[in-house]
Amino acid sequence: MSSTGENRSSNSTRDSKANISSSRLRKELMDLVMGRDKGISACPVDDTFFKWIATIDGPNDTVYENLKFKLSLKFTTQYPYVPPNIKFISPCYHPNIDSSGNICLDILKDKWTASYDVRSVLLSIQSLLGEPNLDDPLDPEAAANWKKSDFKKIMLMHHAKGEKKSTQ
Amino acid sequence: MFDLSLSLIEGNLFLKYNHHHCCLDYHRFTITMPNTEPEEATRENRESNDGSFECNICLDTAKDAVVSMCGHLFCWPCLYQWLETKPQRQVCPVCKALISRDKVTPIYGRGSSRRDPRDTLPPRPPGQRTEPEPHPSTSFPGFGFGDGGFHMSFGIGAFPFGYFSSTIFNFSDNRPAPSPSNPDYLEDALLSKMFFFVAMILLFYLLVA
Ligand SMILES: [Zn+2]
Ligand SMILES: [Zn+2]
Repeated sequence: MSSTGENRSSNSTRDSKANISSSRLRKELMDLVMGRDKGISACPVDDTFFKWIATIDGPNDTVYENLKFKLSLKFTTQYPYVPPNIKFISPCYHPNIDSSGNICLDILKDKWTASYDVRSVLLSIQSLLGEPNLDDPLDPEAAANWKKSDFKKIMLMHHAKGEKKSTQ
Repeated sequence: MFDLSLSLIEGNLFLKYNHHHCCLDYHRFTITMPNTEPEEATRENRESNDGSFECNICLDTAKDAVVSMCGHLFCWPCLYQWLETKPQRQVCPVCKALISRDKVTPIYGRGSSRRDPRDTLPPRPPGQRTEPEPHPSTSFPGFGFGDGGFHMSFGIGAFPFGYFSSTIFNFSDNRPAPSPSNPDYLEDALLSKMFFFVAMILLFYLLVA
């Protein structure tokens, strides 16, 4: 059965995991600040480094061009072994994003690996905006409208509605 | 609301201002706290600038390094944790090639082979000789430094000037030579820059209020 030795080792595993998470998130912030990637930004909003706010610019030559989206990122002490929980705060009408801001992206689920970081994940979400996966939509209506010429108009209408809702 | 926050991360001070909870920008200042050992600080900087020997999971210099068949470097504890997390899908975190415990090669640098913690917490890969007792005194050099970071944040309405100036600006004059990658900020310039920002934000606040 479980000996005291095992207990001690599982405790130290948990402690070292929390240390890895926060020291890695600190490094990632440094890289983001130094890197100055265009079109993405992220910063922690609390002193534990486990909650971040990020912004993504809509990619050029897509319907989302010139739009800015705000996202929330939540990490656990399991990071980077499990992916962060990422949601859109700003309304984003998109085939793979639902009205609550949940994102359907394989690297945030089963395709996650411990080498992904905030930067690579934000860049993936940014490219998802322009290249949705229409085979597995989270918002079937947006998926059905995607190919329509007035998708942008429909999208902006949804965003205006969403913004009104969030300010009430 | 306008809100200003400062974070000290590994000897770098970040000034961040938020407007309506949206992060607008960072400003980085390099300061040296009086209690940090200068040699260690520069070594840490140099190490973090050289990505060749950084673990692909913790992003730190690889400790108890192992290399996969696909050539990716990890700390053994970091990789072990990853393999434990996904026992049914053991892939290289970097290139997603198949990976397993018996297919990684430990790397022994000069003077580092005496201790092998793979013997203790994560069971080490087979094919190695029996190791002597691990030395508990051998800690990871230059690693605990990142834990010294702190973060403070305050609204503009309750600006704790006293605490701010006594804590943040309590660096002494015996500043060590900066590492070559960091621009040499003069302390005066830093102070005036800082207060310029604070003054700007106060001004902005007065205009808005
Ligand atoms: Zn590592
Ligand atoms: Zn690999």
